[in-house]
Amino acid sequence: MRMNKRKVVGIFLGLLGFFLPWVIQFPGLSFPGHVTLGIFLLAAAFWLTEPVPIYTTSMLVIFLEVLLLSAEGPLCLFARPPVAAVTAEAAPREFRLPARAVTAGSEVLVARPSGAFDAVKVEVLERGPDTVRVQSGTLSTTSQVLTQADHWLARYVPASYRTFFAALADPIIILFLGGCLLADASVKYRLDRALTRMFLRPVGTSPRLILLGLLIATAVLSAFMSNTATTAMMMTVVLPLLAGLDRDDPLKVAVVLAIPVGANIGGIATPIGTPPNAIALAALTKQGLGVPFVQWVLMALPIVVVTLGVSWVVLMKLFRPRTAELKIELAGAFDRSPKAWGLYVVFGLTALLWFTENQHGISSNIIAFLPVVALPMFGIVGKKEIHALPWDVFWLMAGGISLGTAIKTTGLAEWMVGRVDWASLGGFAIMAGLALLSFLLANFLSHTVTVTLLAPIAVSVGSVAGAAAGFDLTTALVTVAVASSYGMTLPISTPPNAIAMGSGVLQTQHLVKAGGVIGVLGMALVLVMTKYYWPLFAR
Amino acid sequence: MSKIYILCIEDEPEVLEAVVRDLAPFEAAFPIESASTAAEARRVVESILQQGQLGLVLCDHILPGEDGVSFLVSLHRDPRTTSSRKVLLTAQAGLTDTIQAVNQADLNHYIAKPWKPAELHAVVRQQLTEFVLQNETNLYPYLSLLDGERLGEKIRQQPLPPDE
Repeated sequence: MRMNKRKVVGIFLGLLGFFLPWVIQFPGLSFPGHVTLGIFLLAAAFWLTEPVPIYTTSMLVIFLEVLLLSAEGPLCLFARPPVAAVTAEAAPREFRLPARAVTAGSEVLVARPSGAFDAVKVEVLERGPDTVRVQSGTLSTTSQVLTQADHWLARYVPASYRTFFAALADPIIILFLGGCLLADASVKYRLDRALTRMFLRPVGTSPRLILLGLLIATAVLSAFMSNTATTAMMMTVVLPLLAGLDRDDPLKVAVVLAIPVGANIGGIATPIGTPPNAIALAALTKQGLGVPFVQWVLMALPIVVVTLGVSWVVLMKLFRPRTAELKIELAGAFDRSPKAWGLYVVFGLTALLWFTENQHGISSNIIAFLPVVALPMFGIVGKKEIHALPWDVFWLMAGGISLGTAIKTTGLAEWMVGRVDWASLGGFAIMAGLALLSFLLANFLSHTVTVTLLAPIAVSVGSVAGAAAGFDLTTALVTVAVASSYGMTLPISTPPNAIAMGSGVLQTQHLVKAGGVIGVLGMALVLVMTKYYWPLFAR
Repeated sequence: MSKIYILCIEDEPEVLEAVVRDLAPFEAAFPIESASTAAEARRVVESILQQGQLGLVLCDHILPGEDGVSFLVSLHRDPRTTSSRKVLLTAQAGLTDTIQAVNQADLNHYIAKPWKPAELHAVVRQQLTEFVLQNETNLYPYLSLLDGERLGEKIRQQPLPPDE
């Protein structure tokens, strides 16, 4: 029942947010800006309260943009401003125009066949109540002029609907697609399990070292696979190991917590580690600030390594193991079939090319298409794996990317942040504020949604606060993305947490304690990085 | 998540005690109930179904009054316990009884007395794994006690929770 109430409230808030800008006029914001604000408020309300699945909201966003903002959509088609031919006066180069056709700046807008308008400067000779007599060398009797120069479509050049649909094929989504297909193939040929075994074999039987090994193995896998898939796989590996332990040995809790913690932290390490990174990258690429794969890794690796160490200490202190040794036997060797070898070659080559982007200069987005082509072509994956790709995540990301485009092109971005004197706040304060907001939201919302909502805001702030001392857009977006990954306090914060809770080993308080301590320490590190390390990569 | 129970039916107290002792490792996740006659077992089943589900029945063949095979057949006909795994414990079962148990009660396993604890343990582990695979969606809690290989395989086939 409470669920239903929340849904009703969500739908009400969403519709209210959507129609509010149609009713209330905000000074300084264009009409398309109002429409986009409505779509943004609707999406925010739906993403926060989830009356429909979050990827559905993304699809709705794209649909509304096509209908209301694109040149081919019904709104722009039917709202074509009226045009009229000019009438020549007796004197040469003198014309009579409707009064509203001339702007305060003595300009008229001449319609081009394409539908766009050219502003033409005229000399006003005589201003009547309904008509104006002007002189101009550019106008002719074949000119079609806009009879309402203040019409909203006069200044707004709507984007083609292709722009909004194209978000689903955004290069960053292709990058993610490549990563997902590699991960799916690794699961199919049990490369993930074989690697886990390789990582855990040298650690012996000491519970402390096993815990560290688990953290590292999970983090490394989750840097290339989805955090959720990594957690699910690692759970099937570690839970059977716990059978030999006493029922109430805290080591059980520590081991089960190490998996979601390692997965959430490991996701930070690469652009394909988790969708929030890709969203931040997409926003940066749109601003012409593309971050190469290897540069992201260089930026993220220090904080990943330090937080893994911190997590190890925290888990050992909070859940001190009672047993002195834990024997682990892990089955699963490397698959040596020809197809598995094909996977190793494709994986190795892709990773190599990703990490050498600075040397060869080919974008990691293009390289990501190599596994997309090669894996199905050599029969390493089939239709089944293609169908099983996380299409909901791709749509979710596409909605965010196209929303960012709309916010920027309609002038909503500048308007939203134009009210505050950002420069006086200082660059670091702005970035720290974004980081904390991201962390707070990510504890309650999907991390992808958090970054989807915050990335356009960060970009907007960047466009006006660019001058503020110490503000750097790349740093700001990396900060937002990394901070979201530390939102792991509650069972609902992220799917890896939910899976860990589902094991039946944990109580909610275990997760809240460990996730809270590690999250807060991680955030402190994020702020240090934002201040001292990430700005070093600014261009 | 509703609890999955194990029910043991055996009329000789020492034998019943031995069964329950051999099954002790499972008790952490699967509460064990016992009965000494079919009639008592019916009452126990009713009270189990109030709180959870009946995962496994280990039933002696020869009982005072109604025999074990007939009880298992009636359990199988009840839709609430059709999917419960059924194991018959017996010292001497005639061919007719065995045929009836297999055909009408969908008997899953047959253990001859006397049994070895390791054998009983393996059978129960396998049967509970089957039950959990067929009836549960969240398999993680059973990974450490039951057949982790098979449960892990099923988890890999399951769709993951949406989005991060």
